[in-house]
Amino acid sequence: MDKILLKLLLKFVKLFANKGIDFERLKIITETKVMMDRRRSPASWKRKQQKESKNPLMMTLIMYALMGLFIGVVIFSLKSLLVAMIFIHAYLLFMMAMTLVTDFSAVLLDTADNQILLPKPINSRTLFLSRVVHILVYLSQFFLALTIAPVIFTFINYGPLVGLTTILTLMLTVAFSIFITYLLYALILRFANEQKIKDIVGYFQIFMTIFFAVGYQIIPRLINFDNGNFTFTLHWYSYLLAPVWMAMSVDSLYQMNFNNIHLLMIACAVIVPIFTVWFMVKFLAPSFSRKLGAMSNDAEVIKTNKVVVNHKKDWSEKLARFICISRTESAGFEKVWKITSRDKNFKVQFYPSLAYLLVFAFVFIFKSGKNITEVWAHLHETKMFLWFIYLPLISISSSLAIIPFNENFSAAWIYQSVPLTKPGEIISGGIKVLLIKFFIPVYLILFGVAFYIWGQALIGDFTLGFFNNILIFLLIANINEHSLPFSRQANIKQQSGKIVRALLQLILIGALIGIHFLALKIFWLPSALIPVSATVAYLLLRRIQNLPWLQISI
Amino acid sequence: MSVIQTNMLKKKFGDKYVLKGINLNIDAGQVVGYIGPNGAGKSTTIKIISGIIDEFDGDVSVFGLDVRKNTIEIKQRIGYIPEQASLYEVLTPIEYLRFVGKLYALEDDVISTKSWELLRLFELADKAETRMNTYSKGMKQKVLLISGLIHNPEIIFLDEPLSGLDANAVILVKEILMQLKQAGKTIFYSSHIMDVVEKISDRIIIIDKGYVIADGSFETLKEQAHKGSLENIFTSLTGGNEHNTSTAKEFINVLRS
Repeated sequence: MDKILLKLLLKFVKLFANKGIDFERLKIITETKVMMDRRRSPASWKRKQQKESKNPLMMTLIMYALMGLFIGVVIFSLKSLLVAMIFIHAYLLFMMAMTLVTDFSAVLLDTADNQILLPKPINSRTLFLSRVVHILVYLSQFFLALTIAPVIFTFINYGPLVGLTTILTLMLTVAFSIFITYLLYALILRFANEQKIKDIVGYFQIFMTIFFAVGYQIIPRLINFDNGNFTFTLHWYSYLLAPVWMAMSVDSLYQMNFNNIHLLMIACAVIVPIFTVWFMVKFLAPSFSRKLGAMSNDAEVIKTNKVVVNHKKDWSEKLARFICISRTESAGFEKVWKITSRDKNFKVQFYPSLAYLLVFAFVFIFKSGKNITEVWAHLHETKMFLWFIYLPLISISSSLAIIPFNENFSAAWIYQSVPLTKPGEIISGGIKVLLIKFFIPVYLILFGVAFYIWGQALIGDFTLGFFNNILIFLLIANINEHSLPFSRQANIKQQSGKIVRALLQLILIGALIGIHFLALKIFWLPSALIPVSATVAYLLLRRIQNLPWLQISI
Repeated sequence: MSVIQTNMLKKKFGDKYVLKGINLNIDAGQVVGYIGPNGAGKSTTIKIISGIIDEFDGDVSVFGLDVRKNTIEIKQRIGYIPEQASLYEVLTPIEYLRFVGKLYALEDDVISTKSWELLRLFELADKAETRMNTYSKGMKQKVLLISGLIHNPEIIFLDEPLSGLDANAVILVKEILMQLKQAGKTIFYSSHIMDVVEKISDRIIIIDKGYVIADGSFETLKEQAHKGSLENIFTSLTGGNEHNTSTAKEFINVLRS
């Protein structure tokens, strides 16, 4: 599809190209760029250990189209065209801006591009135009993927006139999203250097991954909620929002209502995006690219006279002293603590599973079909708090499967080259990080919520649950293949037996929750089980600490 | 006749001058080694002469043409090979060279035969259809070299051309530079490796802190160095001065403590 779009655009450019444009060079540059876009693996869905697919871009587009399908359903389910349109335009604006920041930033901020293209005999107008064409091809693909379903639905439900207007307003929304993105970048550039920008973009990417993970679970459920006729009142500030202008314009054509308010909205919808884009291209973009250029030069200068002296003690270094049994373990502890804080890939893979906690809580506790307020009112009479206790297991134990992997896996040679007699302690150090850094805070929050609902009767159960969680966590660590943290290459196919292990894991969790549930029938039993659970957990930890080299796969 | 001429070339980043008035006059067919410590402004000079950086003070002309005005024509006739292996790594070398060749407006079949031949000579033929993200630094450097030479330029700018190459490739590149010199090309390159500079350069220009501090053949520079004026710079570049020895001693002492 990208190639067809490019061909069309190039034909279009050829018609209007004047002397200053070198068409052949324009063609080869844009063709190459489009080809590279295809091969670049998209930022937002780097799922774990996925093998390199042939056309990752296509996969992303299909995902976007699916998401568009879900969103498009509002056109049927909402009775008000205006509300449905606001929803769809807001969605498009958000998605376009986020895609541009998270995915396309790799292209926009690529300073290598300058190194390659600037020495070649290309005039600046051609270079500029090639960037524009490339961006247009990119945008149109995502535009098509995101809007195809909603647009078709609009045509079906509201007829061709509204459908065509919608296409127009959606396009204007894209133009506006470019301006929004630009403002975001300008803001970041104003305050940050190149490394910072990459970090910030990284956080956006994590946010997007979470958004998708949660969105796919929650949005289809929301659509079932049968709230087909909630009304929408325009406050004064609504007039400042771009999706409202667009939706009002569509609505005005649908109702054939052209009063002052509608005309004003139509004017905003048309003029603002066009003006902002013109303003951006004319005045803002030149200084932007100069700043980008200067950035890579600054980096050179700074590098030469930067001296790092103050070594602040990291949190982990203080904690390790209390928590670890040996210097080897504290080495593992500190390393895993720091890398899990800094490595983007770890965050992209792990944080969404934290977000799943919310989804699970939502799904388990408020099973669809029931009234939310009613469920909430009777919650304290149920034993639902067991979910609160054992939910962390499902999401946080996934971190165990992530930490063996890292892009920099080859750095693990260090484990072999140092006289390391107890490699298990490195692993146990890593496990302690996962428990302290992720499990305990989440568990405390869940405890807080449960305490609010059920009161202090829960303290015993939560204490038992605390040790049980750790017990299962360690049990999973014991069953799994053992490898040192960040020592293995991702993408490699997982060894067989993974499904068996996963099943075993689920059965164990189920069994433990069952025992806890049964134990609730006898008043004193949960508290009595605490020492048992703690002891078993301790023994499991010892086992990991004493793992010999033989049992560790490299 | 001089093919490269700079007159009071100055360049500042922020408020700091990196180049503070460089005057160069380089004749056709010369092989010029442009050396100096890190941060002296070597790369910046090369980037300005080859038309990559267009904001600077002073005058620069290549082939008698003003770099500011005739950028495109100059770029077509020169080759620039950067220091870091920056190329589009998701492409294969064949695809990348096709891309670069077309930018230099070469014919498709010329590009294709040239790329295959040159890759074969660099022993990369069997990997010519593999994407470059799996390449080692040396292999990328080879592709970069080819991409800078594929249009048979008259002047060749190289920024640290030998970094990351293995010993065999270093010898090969040295040979290629010698051949290019015999074919009448002008070569302007920056390097740290004195041994190579000494062997192939007709002329060595040393810059430090934004100024040219020495200019001449290796022999004349060596003589000047012994008279004292250049000693520090020159010995720190050729290695083995007293400062380095004392640092090394200190290093060992810290290890022992």
